[in-house]
Amino acid sequence: MEHFAPVRRTKDGQPVRYLVVDDSVFARKNLARIIEAFGGQMAGEAADGLTAISEYSRVNPDIVLMDITMPQMEGIEAAEKIMQQHPEARVVMVSSVGYQENIVAALQRGARHFVQKPVKAEVLYEVIKYVLGEDGTVANAAGAGAGS
Amino acid sequence: MTHFDDPGEEMRELFLETAQELLQSLNEEALKLEKRPDDGEAVRSLRRGIHTLKGDAAACGFRELSELAHKLEDALAPEHVGPNASLAELAFTAADTFAAMLAAYRDHTALPSIQSLDEILVALSAGTKRPGATKNQNHEDVATQGIDWSEYELLASRQSASLGKSVHHVSVLIDPGCTMPIAARQMVLNALNALGQVLGSRPESDSAGLARELDFLFASGLSAEEIVAKCKIPTIISQVDVETITEASEKTSLANPGAQILSGEISTTPHSNEEPARASDSVEHSADSVAAEPATDPGGLLPHHAAENILRVDAERVDALLNLVGELIIGKSMLQQAVNELSKRYPKEPLRARLADAVALQARVLSDLQRSVMKVRMVPVEQLFRRFPRLVRDVARRCGKNVQLIISGETTDLDKSLLDTIAEPLTHLIRNAVSHGIESPPERRQQGKPAEGTIHLSAYHQGNQVIISVRDDGAGIALDRVKAKAVAQHLVAASESQHMDQPEVLELLFHPGFSTADEITEISGRGVGLDVVRSVLRRLKGNVEIETRIGSGTTFHLKVPLTLAIIKALLFRIEQRLYAIPLNAVAEIARARESDLHQVENYEVLQLRDQVLPLVRLGMTASESTVPDRRIFVLVIASGGRKFGLIVDGIEGEEELVIKPLDDHMVATDLVSGASILGDGRVVLIVNLAAIMERSQKSRRKESQGGGHGLLLPQAERALGLGVPAEVRL
Repeated sequence: MEHFAPVRRTKDGQPVRYLVVDDSVFARKNLARIIEAFGGQMAGEAADGLTAISEYSRVNPDIVLMDITMPQMEGIEAAEKIMQQHPEARVVMVSSVGYQENIVAALQRGARHFVQKPVKAEVLYEVIKYVLGEDGTVANAAGAGAGS
Repeated sequence: MTHFDDPGEEMRELFLETAQELLQSLNEEALKLEKRPDDGEAVRSLRRGIHTLKGDAAACGFRELSELAHKLEDALAPEHVGPNASLAELAFTAADTFAAMLAAYRDHTALPSIQSLDEILVALSAGTKRPGATKNQNHEDVATQGIDWSEYELLASRQSASLGKSVHHVSVLIDPGCTMPIAARQMVLNALNALGQVLGSRPESDSAGLARELDFLFASGLSAEEIVAKCKIPTIISQVDVETITEASEKTSLANPGAQILSGEISTTPHSNEEPARASDSVEHSADSVAAEPATDPGGLLPHHAAENILRVDAERVDALLNLVGELIIGKSMLQQAVNELSKRYPKEPLRARLADAVALQARVLSDLQRSVMKVRMVPVEQLFRRFPRLVRDVARRCGKNVQLIISGETTDLDKSLLDTIAEPLTHLIRNAVSHGIESPPERRQQGKPAEGTIHLSAYHQGNQVIISVRDDGAGIALDRVKAKAVAQHLVAASESQHMDQPEVLELLFHPGFSTADEITEISGRGVGLDVVRSVLRRLKGNVEIETRIGSGTTFHLKVPLTLAIIKALLFRIEQRLYAIPLNAVAEIARARESDLHQVENYEVLQLRDQVLPLVRLGMTASESTVPDRRIFVLVIASGGRKFGLIVDGIEGEEELVIKPLDDHMVATDLVSGASILGDGRVVLIVNLAAIMERSQKSRRKESQGGGHGLLLPQAERALGLGVPAEVRL
């Protein structure tokens, strides 16, 4: 697999912090591995929408990766609640092909992007860069990138 | 570097493990659906489970499973399924197929056929899916059409131009790797709406379908280059072309009449500005219904929710921990003994009290530690019980019976390894209860019972044990038929069988020879593999007991210790040797003299209050140890619905023993089930009561004459010299 140049926060050069929401332990672990490869940091994880909302307020992540189908509260609703409380939230929906209409709904409510399962690292990498826009900086090879 | 395309073995294992839980919930939902085919919540829950399975499998590279799950998920989509009796069947077949596939992945064997599932899928979709398919074709037609902006859209664009904005024709190509074109379209719309105003789009929102080329009529103050930059969304849009149709201009004359025409047309022609709003309205409905569903689904939630904070630890690591605790407990009693010794020797030594305090504190913490570690190994029996509803349903169906399963006490905790070990015997008992215990519906009606049979599966704590009962309300076991069968098989003599009481007859069911005969299933309904059930339970230092009443049913009680590793034991001496038995097996301890013992037929018995208690000697036979007035102890053991007395020379006290298993090559007897080390370094053997009882009965039947017979444990032990019997023969 290709190597990813770490993506850092532009404002302080710190790793981008992620909240991963998925009811499958497996999916969360998989995403965590990918995030690690991006030089990101797992700020928190949640297995259902309700927890996701409280976790967002607690850890205040830069990016939320949100599964669509979950118990307790579905991804869209959780994403919507988060975006209501935190309009600046960057929520990326993660789901399989069968849930296109839900993704459309989430996008209409302010989700920033979506990726399909199974999540491909190189796809998510591009999505993350796009979603962060100017708030993210691709760091150069060795630590020199911090600060700018 | 990590490899996402080829996930490590660890990920696969995690997947295979979590997949089992998913399959379990599939089964549960299927059972719900079978009872209530119109249970929409069950369908949604089912679909959610399949969805998760699909995603996980795909990430692991298990393509076949993922694809199958995808098909299923599609078939279960709300627009495709109504209340449908075949859904339950589909779900069951799906669960089985997935299970077979998972097993194949795990063992690296060939994948099973998915034909049966495919057939159901085809049958299911035949009636419902066609409209959707034709609709899709229409979409493609629309997508290939050229751009033909409506009069209204052109009008709106002229209006925008008059307001000082440029109007562009933005055409985008959805990335071939993106499988969600509608969502991709929404992304583009989001991007455009952030920059200006979308006046029109092709294809239109409600017919976007599978189109991969999108065209927008877009009014914005930004330049074409800026629009291209903003719309080039990575991974979703592969190409963006912007053609400026109208520069910001002065045309205003047409605006007014246009507006009038427009207002009349709103109902027929899609109004571009309202379009997103309408779309979001319709989605809002579906989103609401989706969001509302979990709240009404407490059953489906729990497993997911509980999984939240769970740490997955290899059971071996916990075992290693427990083993260390065991060693500490031995250390504790060594220390305790040393302190006692010290106290005796130097009663005035002031240090003694401090030492004793420290030892007491340590002992307390140690017992807390032991409890905590043991708790780690405990899991609710629900983990095992969950699979039985499906089992009962399947077996009942196969034998044409009508059976309901009632489960209680599923929160009772049991050592994980114990639970795993009793899974097999318990499954066996339940299967037996359905196929042989419960009568067929006509038979039941004849006897005035409800046509539907009931099996109660329950678990509860009793002292240091967990008791799991399987109770059916079936025919019960006909004792005389069991007897007749046993006589026919030469397991007992006909004359002898006359004297057998109920426990003894039931005991025959556990005889290995008895259980292998085919007709037994017809005669008694029991017997198949019961010897196996018992031997498993014995290995766990537990037992299995039967209660039965003709006409009203049979109950099997599986008694297992809370944990395998540490038991509270009663220590006693026989011929200067030390032995132990689980304390909870001892009902009482009686004192007696040799002269109090009587001989009845070939039994040695003791008159204990108003009971006559059959006795078992572990040591020398009565004739060998003829000191007529010797004082002895009789341990009254209650086991398997019967009592017997164990003659021992002296009682040593009770102690917590850390059981060390004995390897088969060290002990060739089942009379001893383990060993332990005491604080003073002595080795104590743990006696297997169930085996002793069985042996003594057998020997009693064989020895029609002669005095009380000893099991001669100590002699055999002496032969080895080590304190561990090499072989014990009767």
